[in-house]
Amino acid sequence: MQEFDDIQSLWNNHTVEVKISSGEMLAQAKKEVNSMRSKSLLNILGMCLSFLAIACLWLFFDFQSWTTHAGITIVIISIAVYTFILYKGHLLISRNDFTANPNDFLNQLKLYQISRYNLYNRLYWIYSIALSLGIGLLFYEILSYFSFWKQLLAIVLTFGWLIFCSTIFRRIVIKKEKERIALLIEKFERISTQFKENEHHF
Amino acid sequence: MEQKDLLFKQIFETNSKKIFHLCYGYTGDKDSANDLLQETFLKVWQNLDKFRNKSLLSTWIYRIAVNTCLTYLRSEKRQGKEELTDNIIENETETYSEKNEQVALLYKSISKLEENDRLIITMVLDELPYNEIAEISGISEGNLRVKIHRIKQKLTELYNQHARI
Repeated sequence: MQEFDDIQSLWNNHTVEVKISSGEMLAQAKKEVNSMRSKSLLNILGMCLSFLAIACLWLFFDFQSWTTHAGITIVIISIAVYTFILYKGHLLISRNDFTANPNDFLNQLKLYQISRYNLYNRLYWIYSIALSLGIGLLFYEILSYFSFWKQLLAIVLTFGWLIFCSTIFRRIVIKKEKERIALLIEKFERISTQFKENEHHF
Repeated sequence: MEQKDLLFKQIFETNSKKIFHLCYGYTGDKDSANDLLQETFLKVWQNLDKFRNKSLLSTWIYRIAVNTCLTYLRSEKRQGKEELTDNIIENETETYSEKNEQVALLYKSISKLEENDRLIITMVLDELPYNEIAEISGISEGNLRVKIHRIKQKLTELYNQHARI
Protein backbone atom coordinates (compact mmCIF):
# COMPACT_ATOMS: atom_id res chain seq x y z
CA MET A 1 0.00 0.00 0.00
CA GLN A 2 1.57 3.25 -1.13
CA GLU A 3 0.98 6.74 0.23
CA PHE A 4 1.09 9.95 -1.77
CA ASP A 5 4.59 10.68 -0.39
CA ASP A 6 5.82 7.46 -1.99
CA ILE A 7 4.31 8.57 -5.29
CA GLN A 8 5.99 11.94 -4.86
CA SER A 9 9.39 10.39 -4.28
CA LEU A 10 8.86 8.04 -7.24
CA TRP A 11 8.14 11.09 -9.40
CA ASN A 12 11.18 12.92 -8.08
CA ASN A 13 13.47 9.99 -8.76
CA HIS A 14 12.16 9.56 -12.26
CA THR A 15 14.09 11.91 -14.48
CA VAL A 16 13.20 12.92 -17.99
CA GLU A 17 15.63 14.13 -20.57
CA VAL A 18 14.97 16.81 -23.15
CA LYS A 19 17.20 15.74 -25.98
CA ILE A 20 16.55 18.75 -28.14
CA SER A 21 18.09 22.23 -28.02
CA SER A 22 16.21 25.49 -28.54
CA GLY A 23 17.76 25.93 -31.99
CA GLU A 24 16.93 22.37 -33.03
CA MET A 25 13.39 22.85 -31.84
CA LEU A 26 12.84 25.93 -34.00
CA ALA A 27 14.54 24.17 -36.92
CA GLN A 28 12.25 21.17 -36.45
CA ALA A 29 9.20 23.44 -36.68
CA LYS A 30 10.52 24.83 -39.95
CA LYS A 31 11.34 21.36 -41.28
CA GLU A 32 7.73 20.38 -41.92
CA VAL A 33 7.18 23.51 -43.97
CA ASN A 34 10.52 23.09 -45.72
CA SER A 35 9.59 19.61 -46.88
CA MET A 36 6.43 21.04 -48.45
CA ARG A 37 8.52 23.75 -50.13
CA SER A 38 11.01 21.20 -51.48
CA LYS A 39 8.22 19.08 -52.95
CA SER A 40 6.69 22.11 -54.61
CA LEU A 41 10.09 23.09 -55.99
CA LEU A 42 10.73 19.58 -57.33
CA ASN A 43 7.34 19.71 -59.02
CA ILE A 44 8.31 22.95 -60.75
CA LEU A 45 11.70 21.56 -61.70
CA GLY A 46 10.06 18.50 -63.26
CA MET A 47 7.75 20.71 -65.29
CA CYS A 48 10.69 22.83 -66.48
CA LEU A 49 12.52 19.70 -67.62
CA SER A 50 9.43 18.56 -69.54
CA PHE A 51 9.25 21.98 -71.15
CA LEU A 52 12.90 21.75 -72.20
CA ALA A 53 12.50 18.21 -73.52
CA ILE A 54 9.57 19.20 -75.75
CA ALA A 55 11.37 22.36 -76.86
CA CYS A 56 14.42 20.24 -77.86
CA LEU A 57 12.15 17.91 -79.81
CA TRP A 58 10.87 20.93 -81.71
CA LEU A 59 14.34 22.36 -82.32
CA PHE A 60 16.20 19.23 -83.35
CA PHE A 61 13.64 17.43 -85.48
CA ASP A 62 12.42 18.59 -88.83
CA PHE A 63 8.70 18.03 -88.66
CA GLN A 64 6.76 18.28 -91.89
CA SER A 65 3.13 18.44 -90.88
CA TRP A 66 1.43 21.54 -89.48
CA THR A 67 -0.39 19.30 -87.00
CA THR A 68 2.92 18.45 -85.30
CA HIS A 69 3.82 22.13 -84.91
CA ALA A 70 0.32 22.91 -83.63
CA GLY A 71 0.51 19.93 -81.24
CA ILE A 72 3.91 20.95 -79.83
CA THR A 73 2.73 24.56 -79.46
CA ILE A 74 -0.30 23.45 -77.43
CA VAL A 75 1.76 21.09 -75.24
CA ILE A 76 4.48 23.69 -74.64
CA ILE A 77 2.00 26.46 -73.80
CA SER A 78 0.09 24.12 -71.46
CA ILE A 79 3.27 23.14 -69.62
CA ALA A 80 4.44 26.77 -69.42
CA VAL A 81 1.11 28.04 -68.05
CA TYR A 82 0.83 25.18 -65.55
CA THR A 83 4.43 25.71 -64.42
CA PHE A 84 3.77 29.43 -63.95
CA ILE A 85 0.71 28.65 -61.81
CA LEU A 86 2.78 26.19 -59.79
CA TYR A 87 5.45 28.85 -59.33
CA LYS A 88 2.89 31.41 -58.16
CA GLY A 89 1.65 28.88 -55.62
CA HIS A 90 5.20 28.18 -54.51
CA LEU A 91 5.80 31.88 -53.86
CA LEU A 92 2.98 31.82 -51.32
CA ILE A 93 4.88 29.46 -49.04
CA SER A 94 8.44 30.34 -49.90
CA ARG A 95 8.60 33.90 -48.60
CA ASN A 96 7.32 33.61 -45.06
CA ASP A 97 8.84 32.07 -41.99
CA PHE A 98 6.39 30.82 -39.40
CA THR A 99 8.71 31.45 -36.49
CA ALA A 100 9.13 35.09 -37.54
CA ASN A 101 5.69 36.12 -38.89
CA PRO A 102 3.13 33.58 -37.73
CA ASN A 103 0.00 35.41 -38.86
CA ASP A 104 1.31 36.26 -42.32
CA PHE A 105 2.52 32.73 -42.71
CA LEU A 106 -0.82 31.25 -41.71
CA ASN A 107 -2.71 33.48 -44.16
CA GLN A 108 -0.35 32.55 -46.97
CA LEU A 109 -0.68 28.86 -46.11
CA LYS A 110 -4.47 29.14 -46.39
CA LEU A 111 -4.11 30.83 -49.78
CA TYR A 112 -1.73 28.06 -50.80
CA GLN A 113 -4.33 25.47 -49.79
CA ILE A 114 -6.91 27.15 -52.05
CA SER A 115 -4.43 27.49 -54.91
CA ARG A 116 -3.54 23.77 -54.68
CA TYR A 117 -7.21 22.85 -54.62
CA ASN A 118 -7.81 24.80 -57.84
CA LEU A 119 -4.68 23.35 -59.36
CA TYR A 120 -5.73 19.75 -58.84
CA ASN A 121 -9.33 20.29 -59.88
CA ARG A 122 -10.51 22.74 -62.53
CA LEU A 123 -7.04 23.70 -63.76
CA TYR A 124 -5.87 20.10 -63.91
CA TRP A 125 -8.71 19.13 -66.25
CA ILE A 126 -8.02 22.07 -68.56
CA TYR A 127 -4.34 21.08 -68.52
CA SER A 128 -5.10 17.41 -69.22
CA ILE A 129 -7.47 18.20 -72.09
CA ALA A 130 -4.98 20.63 -73.65
CA LEU A 131 -2.17 18.10 -73.24
CA SER A 132 -4.24 15.29 -74.78
CA LEU A 133 -5.18 17.49 -77.72
CA GLY A 134 -1.56 18.55 -78.22
CA ILE A 135 -0.23 14.99 -78.02
CA GLY A 136 -2.99 13.83 -80.38
CA LEU A 137 -1.93 16.34 -83.01
CA LEU A 138 1.74 15.54 -82.37
CA PHE A 139 1.15 11.80 -82.86
CA TYR A 140 -0.60 12.36 -86.20
CA GLU A 141 2.73 12.79 -87.99
CA ILE A 142 5.15 11.02 -85.64
CA LEU A 143 3.23 7.75 -85.45
CA SER A 144 2.96 7.53 -89.24
CA TYR A 145 6.65 6.50 -89.27
CA PHE A 146 5.97 3.47 -87.06
CA SER A 147 4.39 0.08 -87.61
CA PHE A 148 0.80 -0.57 -86.47
CA TRP A 149 1.76 -2.36 -83.24
CA LYS A 150 4.21 0.34 -82.25
CA GLN A 151 1.55 2.96 -82.97
CA LEU A 152 -0.89 1.09 -80.78
CA LEU A 153 1.65 0.69 -78.00
CA ALA A 154 2.52 4.43 -78.04
CA ILE A 155 -1.16 5.43 -77.93
CA VAL A 156 -2.05 2.99 -75.16
CA LEU A 157 0.96 3.90 -73.02
CA THR A 158 0.63 7.67 -73.46
CA PHE A 159 -3.10 8.00 -72.96
CA GLY A 160 -3.12 5.25 -70.34
CA TRP A 161 -0.57 7.26 -68.38
CA LEU A 162 -2.63 10.44 -68.81
CA ILE A 163 -5.78 8.69 -67.60
CA PHE A 164 -3.90 7.13 -64.65
CA CYS A 165 -2.52 10.54 -63.64
CA SER A 166 -5.92 12.23 -63.97
CA THR A 167 -7.76 9.65 -61.92
CA ILE A 168 -6.06 7.34 -59.40
CA PHE A 169 -2.77 9.23 -59.02
CA ARG A 170 -4.47 12.63 -58.82
CA ARG A 171 -6.83 11.40 -56.12
CA ILE A 172 -3.95 10.00 -54.04
CA VAL A 173 -1.94 13.23 -54.39
CA ILE A 174 -4.95 15.41 -53.53
CA LYS A 175 -5.72 13.32 -50.43
CA LYS A 176 -2.14 13.34 -49.15
CA GLU A 177 -1.57 17.01 -49.80
CA LYS A 178 -4.93 18.02 -48.37
CA GLU A 179 -4.14 16.19 -45.15
CA ARG A 180 -0.63 17.60 -44.93
CA ILE A 181 -1.65 21.23 -45.45
CA ALA A 182 -4.72 20.91 -43.21
CA LEU A 183 -2.58 19.46 -40.42
CA LEU A 184 -0.06 22.28 -40.72
CA ILE A 185 -2.81 24.92 -40.72
CA GLU A 186 -4.45 23.26 -37.75
CA LYS A 187 -1.19 23.13 -35.85
CA PHE A 188 -0.18 26.73 -36.58
CA GLU A 189 -3.70 27.97 -35.82
CA ARG A 190 -3.58 26.18 -32.51
CA ILE A 191 -0.27 27.84 -31.74
CA SER A 192 -1.57 31.30 -32.67
CA THR A 193 -5.03 31.05 -31.10
CA GLN A 194 -4.05 31.14 -27.44
CA PHE A 195 -2.67 34.64 -27.63
CA LYS A 196 -5.41 35.93 -29.89
CA GLU A 197 -8.02 34.82 -27.38
CA ASN A 198 -6.02 36.35 -24.54
CA GLU A 199 -7.35 33.59 -22.35
CA HIS A 200 -4.90 31.64 -20.32
CA HIS A 201 -6.99 29.85 -17.74
CA PHE A 202 -8.32 26.30 -17.67
CA MET B 1 17.15 39.28 -33.14
CA GLU B 2 20.35 37.80 -31.78
CA GLN B 3 19.42 39.03 -28.33
CA LYS B 4 16.04 37.32 -28.66
CA ASP B 5 17.80 34.10 -29.72
CA LEU B 6 20.05 34.21 -26.68
CA LEU B 7 17.20 34.98 -24.33
CA PHE B 8 15.10 32.21 -25.82
CA LYS B 9 17.98 29.75 -25.51
CA GLN B 10 18.34 30.63 -21.87
CA ILE B 11 14.59 30.34 -21.23
CA PHE B 12 14.46 27.00 -23.02
CA GLU B 13 17.37 25.59 -21.04
CA THR B 14 15.87 26.70 -17.73
CA ASN B 15 12.28 25.58 -18.34
CA SER B 16 12.17 22.86 -20.97
CA LYS B 17 12.75 19.97 -18.59
CA LYS B 18 9.88 20.90 -16.29
CA ILE B 19 7.56 21.61 -19.20
CA PHE B 20 8.47 18.30 -20.81
CA HIS B 21 7.70 16.56 -17.53
CA LEU B 22 4.32 18.30 -17.41
CA CYS B 23 3.53 17.27 -20.98
CA TYR B 24 4.79 13.74 -20.39
CA GLY B 25 2.67 13.46 -17.26
CA TYR B 26 -0.32 14.70 -19.21
CA THR B 27 0.01 12.45 -22.27
CA GLY B 28 2.09 9.58 -20.93
CA ASP B 29 3.81 9.44 -24.28
CA LYS B 30 7.23 10.80 -25.24
CA ASP B 31 6.39 11.68 -28.84
CA SER B 32 3.25 13.60 -27.92
CA ALA B 33 5.13 15.25 -25.06
CA ASN B 34 7.78 16.36 -27.53
CA ASP B 35 5.11 17.79 -29.85
CA LEU B 36 3.58 19.66 -26.94
CA LEU B 37 6.97 20.93 -25.80
CA GLN B 38 7.61 22.22 -29.30
CA GLU B 39 4.23 23.94 -29.54
CA THR B 40 4.65 25.50 -26.11
CA PHE B 41 8.05 26.95 -26.88
CA LEU B 42 6.98 28.12 -30.33
CA LYS B 43 4.31 30.16 -28.56
CA VAL B 44 6.90 31.41 -26.10
CA TRP B 45 9.22 32.38 -28.97
CA GLN B 46 6.50 34.24 -30.82
CA ASN B 47 5.09 36.03 -27.82
CA LEU B 48 8.18 36.75 -25.81
CA ASP B 49 7.75 40.49 -26.41
CA LYS B 50 4.22 40.29 -24.92
CA PHE B 51 5.50 39.07 -21.57
CA ARG B 52 5.08 41.98 -19.17
CA ASN B 53 6.75 40.70 -15.98
CA LYS B 54 3.38 40.72 -14.18
CA SER B 55 4.04 37.14 -13.13
CA LEU B 56 7.06 34.91 -13.03
CA LEU B 57 8.33 33.92 -16.44
CA SER B 58 8.08 30.25 -15.43
CA THR B 59 4.42 30.78 -14.45
CA TRP B 60 3.73 32.36 -17.81
CA ILE B 61 5.35 29.43 -19.61
CA TYR B 62 3.49 26.87 -17.48
CA ARG B 63 0.25 28.64 -18.30
CA ILE B 64 1.03 28.41 -22.00
CA ALA B 65 1.96 24.74 -21.61
CA VAL B 66 -1.22 23.90 -19.72
CA ASN B 67 -3.37 25.54 -22.40
CA THR B 68 -1.35 23.84 -25.11
CA CYS B 69 -1.89 20.43 -23.50
CA LEU B 70 -5.63 20.94 -23.17
CA THR B 71 -6.10 22.31 -26.69
CA TYR B 72 -3.87 19.63 -28.19
CA LEU B 73 -5.79 16.76 -26.69
CA ARG B 74 -9.14 18.28 -27.68
CA SER B 75 -7.99 18.73 -31.25
CA GLU B 76 -6.70 15.14 -31.33
CA LYS B 77 -10.12 14.01 -30.20
CA ARG B 78 -11.84 16.23 -32.74
CA GLN B 79 -9.82 14.61 -35.47
CA GLY B 80 -11.20 11.26 -34.35
CA LYS B 81 -7.84 9.97 -33.28
CA GLU B 82 -7.60 7.44 -30.51
CA GLU B 83 -7.53 8.66 -26.96
CA LEU B 84 -3.93 9.62 -26.45
CA THR B 85 -3.17 8.63 -22.94
CA ASP B 86 -5.09 5.44 -22.34
CA ASN B 87 -4.04 3.54 -25.42
CA ILE B 88 -0.53 4.82 -25.59
CA ILE B 89 0.11 3.97 -22.00
CA GLU B 90 -1.42 0.52 -22.46
CA ASN B 91 0.85 -0.04 -25.43
CA GLU B 92 3.93 1.29 -23.76
CA THR B 93 3.53 -0.58 -20.49
CA GLU B 94 5.68 -3.39 -21.85
CA THR B 95 8.54 -1.03 -22.65
CA TYR B 96 8.21 0.64 -19.30
CA SER B 97 8.11 -2.59 -17.34
CA GLU B 98 11.68 -3.41 -18.21
CA LYS B 99 12.90 -0.02 -16.99
CA ASN B 100 10.61 0.89 -14.22
CA GLU B 101 7.29 -0.73 -13.62
CA GLN B 102 6.37 1.68 -10.87
CA VAL B 103 6.84 4.73 -13.10
CA ALA B 104 4.68 3.08 -15.75
CA LEU B 105 2.00 2.52 -13.16
CA LEU B 106 2.22 6.10 -12.05
CA TYR B 107 1.73 7.43 -15.59
CA LYS B 108 -1.12 5.00 -16.10
CA SER B 109 -2.76 6.23 -12.90
CA ILE B 110 -2.30 9.88 -13.88
CA SER B 111 -3.90 9.13 -17.25
CA LYS B 112 -7.06 7.97 -15.48
CA LEU B 113 -7.58 11.37 -13.89
CA GLU B 114 -9.64 14.19 -15.40
CA GLU B 115 -7.76 16.40 -17.92
CA ASN B 116 -7.42 19.41 -15.60
CA ASP B 117 -6.62 17.22 -12.61
CA ARG B 118 -3.83 15.59 -14.57
CA LEU B 119 -2.17 18.94 -15.14
CA ILE B 120 -2.65 20.10 -11.57
CA ILE B 121 -1.18 16.94 -10.08
CA THR B 122 1.78 17.09 -12.47
CA MET B 123 2.52 20.59 -11.23
CA VAL B 124 2.10 19.42 -7.63
CA LEU B 125 4.47 16.53 -8.25
CA ASP B 126 6.90 19.00 -9.80
CA GLU B 127 6.66 20.89 -6.49
CA LEU B 128 5.40 24.17 -7.87
CA PRO B 129 4.24 26.53 -5.11
CA TYR B 130 0.46 26.47 -4.64
CA ASN B 131 0.08 30.18 -5.41
CA GLU B 132 1.77 29.61 -8.76
CA ILE B 133 -0.43 26.61 -9.58
CA ALA B 134 -3.46 28.72 -8.62
CA GLU B 135 -2.35 31.48 -10.98
CA ILE B 136 -1.66 29.09 -13.82
CA SER B 137 -4.93 27.23 -13.44
CA GLY B 138 -7.07 30.28 -12.67
CA ILE B 139 -8.46 28.73 -9.49
CA SER B 140 -8.43 30.48 -6.12
CA GLU B 141 -5.80 29.16 -3.74
CA GLY B 142 -8.43 28.00 -1.25
CA ASN B 143 -10.31 25.98 -3.85
CA LEU B 144 -7.07 24.68 -5.23
CA ARG B 145 -5.98 23.25 -1.88
CA VAL B 146 -9.24 21.32 -1.61
CA LYS B 147 -8.94 20.17 -5.20
CA ILE B 148 -5.33 19.06 -4.74
CA HIS B 149 -6.23 17.10 -1.63
CA ARG B 150 -8.94 15.30 -3.57
CA ILE B 151 -6.68 14.64 -6.57
CA LYS B 152 -3.90 13.30 -4.34
CA GLN B 153 -6.34 10.86 -2.75
CA LYS B 154 -7.70 9.80 -6.11
CA LEU B 155 -4.24 9.30 -7.58
CA THR B 156 -3.03 7.27 -4.61
CA GLU B 157 -6.16 5.15 -4.84
CA LEU B 158 -5.71 4.59 -8.58
CA TYR B 159 -2.04 3.80 -8.14
CA ASN B 160 -2.73 1.21 -5.45
CA GLN B 161 -5.54 -0.27 -7.51
CA HIS B 162 -3.25 -0.70 -10.52
CA ALA B 163 -0.44 -2.01 -8.34
CA ARG B 164 -2.70 -4.80 -7.08
CA ILE B 165 -3.62 -5.96 -10.60
